[in-house]
Amino acid sequence: MELKEVIKARTLEEVLDVLDEKGEKAKVIAGGTDLVIQLREGKVNPEVLVDISDVAELCFIKETGDFIEIGAATRFVNIKESPVIGKPFKGLQEAAGHVGSPQIRNLGTVGGNICNASPAADTVPALLALDAVAVIKSKQGTREMPLEDIYIDRGKVKLEPQEILYAVKFLKPQPGQGLGFVKLGLRKALAISTISLAVFVERGENEVIKNIRIGSGALSRFPVREREVEDFVKGKKMDNTVIEEAAEVFGQVLEKRLATRPPVEKDFKPYAIKGVFKEALNKAWQRTK
Amino acid sequence: MSFNVIGKSVIRVDGLAKVTGKAVYPQDIYMDGMLYGKTLRSTVPHAYFTLDTSKAEKIEGVVRIFTAKDVPGHNAHGVLFKDHEVFCAQKVRRIGDPLAFVVATSEKIAQKAVEAIEVKYEELPAVFDPVEAMKDEIKVHDGTSNIIYHYKLRKGNIEEGFAKSHVVVENVYKTSMVDHAFLQPEAGIAYVEEDGTIVVCAATQYPHFDQLEIAEAMGVPAEKVKVINPAVGGAFGGREDITLQIHLAIAAVATGGPVKAVYSREESFVAHSKRHPEIIKIKTGADKEGKLLALEAEIIADTGAYASWAINVTRKSGIHVTGPYVIPNVKVDAYAVYTNNPFCGAMRGFGATQVPIATEQQMDMLAEKLGISPVEIRLKNAFTKGSETANGQILTESVPLITCIKKVADALEMA
Amino acid sequence: MKKISLTVNGKLYQVEVEEDMRLLDLLRDKLGFTGVKEGCSEGECGACSVIMDGKLVTSCLIMAFQAEGKEIITIEGLQKEDGTLHPIQQAFLEEGAVQCGFCTPAMVLAAKALLDKNPHPTDEEIKEGISGNLCRCTGYAKIVSSVKKAAEYLNKGGK
Ligand SMILES: Cc1cc2nc3c(=O)[nH]c(=O)nc-3n(C[C@H](O)[C@H](O)[C@H](O)COP(=O)(O)OP(=O)(O)OC[C@H]3O[C@@H](n4cnc5c(N)ncnc54)[C@H](O)[C@@H]3O)c2cc1C
Ligand code: FES
Ligand code: FES
Repeated sequence: MELKEVIKARTLEEVLDVLDEKGEKAKVIAGGTDLVIQLREGKVNPEVLVDISDVAELCFIKETGDFIEIGAATRFVNIKESPVIGKPFKGLQEAAGHVGSPQIRNLGTVGGNICNASPAADTVPALLALDAVAVIKSKQGTREMPLEDIYIDRGKVKLEPQEILYAVKFLKPQPGQGLGFVKLGLRKALAISTISLAVFVERGENEVIKNIRIGSGALSRFPVREREVEDFVKGKKMDNTVIEEAAEVFGQVLEKRLATRPPVEKDFKPYAIKGVFKEALNKAWQRTK
Repeated sequence: MSFNVIGKSVIRVDGLAKVTGKAVYPQDIYMDGMLYGKTLRSTVPHAYFTLDTSKAEKIEGVVRIFTAKDVPGHNAHGVLFKDHEVFCAQKVRRIGDPLAFVVATSEKIAQKAVEAIEVKYEELPAVFDPVEAMKDEIKVHDGTSNIIYHYKLRKGNIEEGFAKSHVVVENVYKTSMVDHAFLQPEAGIAYVEEDGTIVVCAATQYPHFDQLEIAEAMGVPAEKVKVINPAVGGAFGGREDITLQIHLAIAAVATGGPVKAVYSREESFVAHSKRHPEIIKIKTGADKEGKLLALEAEIIADTGAYASWAINVTRKSGIHVTGPYVIPNVKVDAYAVYTNNPFCGAMRGFGATQVPIATEQQMDMLAEKLGISPVEIRLKNAFTKGSETANGQILTESVPLITCIKKVADALEMA
Repeated sequence: MKKISLTVNGKLYQVEVEEDMRLLDLLRDKLGFTGVKEGCSEGECGACSVIMDGKLVTSCLIMAFQAEGKEIITIEGLQKEDGTLHPIQQAFLEEGAVQCGFCTPAMVLAAKALLDKNPHPTDEEIKEGISGNLCRCTGYAKIVSSVKKAAEYLNKGGK
């Protein structure tokens, strides 16, 4: 790597100025848990590195109006331990709590998780299920887009070189809502997700599933919403039959999607998703009460 | 009777240095003016090759690049057979074979130079399946059969034993290749003392043998080589073969300066041995009561491109495939076979670890067929004091297996 | 080259670092804290862990320049000047939680980071606290029991 300049930024303005000036030559570093490895492998070769990990304006979890907003440089450990997020959405905290190890959670940030655009990014399914919005800033101003739309491909997000992800935000939990998260990995710690799944549900009258949003990880080229399954479930009464049928539908969706993938994916995931989905849905439903 | 040590918790002698972080592993040694070495390794499993180091040599900071022609003595090493080359001369036999060692003023430059060496491979057909390899159609080492060892064990008459058996179970089991993954990647530093003694300081399991191997490769008498073994960060068998010791010695003598090398985790994985994967074909017979009558096994151990400890490991598998059980009729054939896979050697258990996968599952299946418990069938056949093993050893010392099984069963409430 | 200042084990250092240097390299190669170990270079083994501003982190994933202004504790900072061991070190020694020792410095620091925050951890919490640190020798049981013992020592006001 031919790094020429490294900048430890302390303010957002400083970060945006550098990006504005250096453009493509510059790269933002937050926790470094993805980037340092990529730098050493020569997979990315920036001339300038701007460290945002100690920019206070990017490290926060707060309520703003109807929204809960999380700064991009917020560490997993802070999400895991935050009192702001609230019990119904504990699934997001579980997702953050499942990342890597204590060391990785003390360093890694939610912004890095999103912008690294790995299919197995653990907080992203939870944020997708919460219908989160990405807040993006550059020297020119602020723009927002649904988090779902930020992905172009594995490892690629729709950010201009001058832009950074500033925050993600989602609507505060309302009565009757809940979020469940389940991760399947080879072991409890330091396991990249084989499947991660977040299910958001809203309970209607008479146990009807008024709304459901499903965010998945490691099932596509990047984390996605599982709309076919959502559509199947939405409006139905929550009971075992629906759960079983929905799990079958999920399995079939994956059989199609993963048909050309290696056996570990094509054979294992459509099967495993059923259990993962049931568990995540049940957890979410529990939290609506 | 009272003892000073037995029955007491004794604090290990090196414990204090280790809990305070003061224990010195080879990567912790820094010497004035030291140079850094990096190894170029093959990226294909079987090929003739040529090297062009001219571009790499021109990089500023590169001191020297060593290849096969720079080995002053024998270009060979190995714990049993001298089948490893210090640097491959013409042919590579696995991914990860060492081709050259770059010495430079910094690790970064050494790495850059390794990448700048041009390697041209003329690839050869390779063999990865040990069963295929036994046909000797593709030879891993020219002029030798791939079958480097055949251990034969014969006791009694298995035909009779199986004929008398009430139940017979026959299966094929496969175990996989395993890495030791000791936590401290290989590292070492070498220098030359005033009287010309070559000093190699490296984490190793076999310093006295390393000394001989270094001396032979350097073409000097053994007393001219000193091996220092500082703190070793785990080994589990994976540090019994030479990795960087001779490269460092060659470099230190040629450059005069201390030369240090530290492997990355990836390089560590390709540089040292693995546990032999085995294919175990096994047939076991027992009478109505569950007494074992006969066992027949064929074991094929894939030793990869080099023999390392294959002979001893395979023999041990052949002996231990009976399990700790008395069996009157036994026939075992265990083979160690070269392939173009990563080489295999010593790892915890040394051949005794693989076979129970087969033996013990056979026991469970026999018990199931006979309708007795897995504990009962083991108690019926377990070695006790005075038992004779299949290879004829009389067990004269303490053999508390039955006590042990009973205790475990009690704890599990299975008996 | 970039000039940074940081505190290691209570002492302030002002050093020039190369742009592409990691905190791990700075601590080991430049400042001589060789109790910080490199086992994998990618955050998996935890051997390079140090405590930075009170939190356990893997120094192989941090660029040196990012550590500007940080307070770092390595294993070298635990033993008192008169040679008294930190209760965690003492417990590791007594319980036989040390074999090859390569994981030990970081394991002790992981225990410290945990016990500083949670003086009465359950077994599960201890296991989670050391879940980012691999030990290939001991099988962890003795490490877990030493962390428990260390907690006792610390709660009694140090040994
Ligand atoms: C041992 C280990 C285990 C891991 N386990 C898990 C796991 O279980 N689950 C999981 O999801 N991930 C895991 N990861 C991956 C990683 O920790 C996460 O993806 C983490 O969120 C990355 O965040 P970071 O702050 O470290 O990002 P960095 O490495 O600093 O950055 C990653 C990328 O995002 C860009 N970036 C960062 N912040 C911004 C921003 N605000 N705006 C624009 N671009 C930005 C950077 O330029 C870079 O391209 C693991 C990593 C390691 C090393
Ligand atoms: S060297 Fe940093 S975690 Fe292994
Ligand atoms: S004591 Fe060897 S790795 Fe832990």
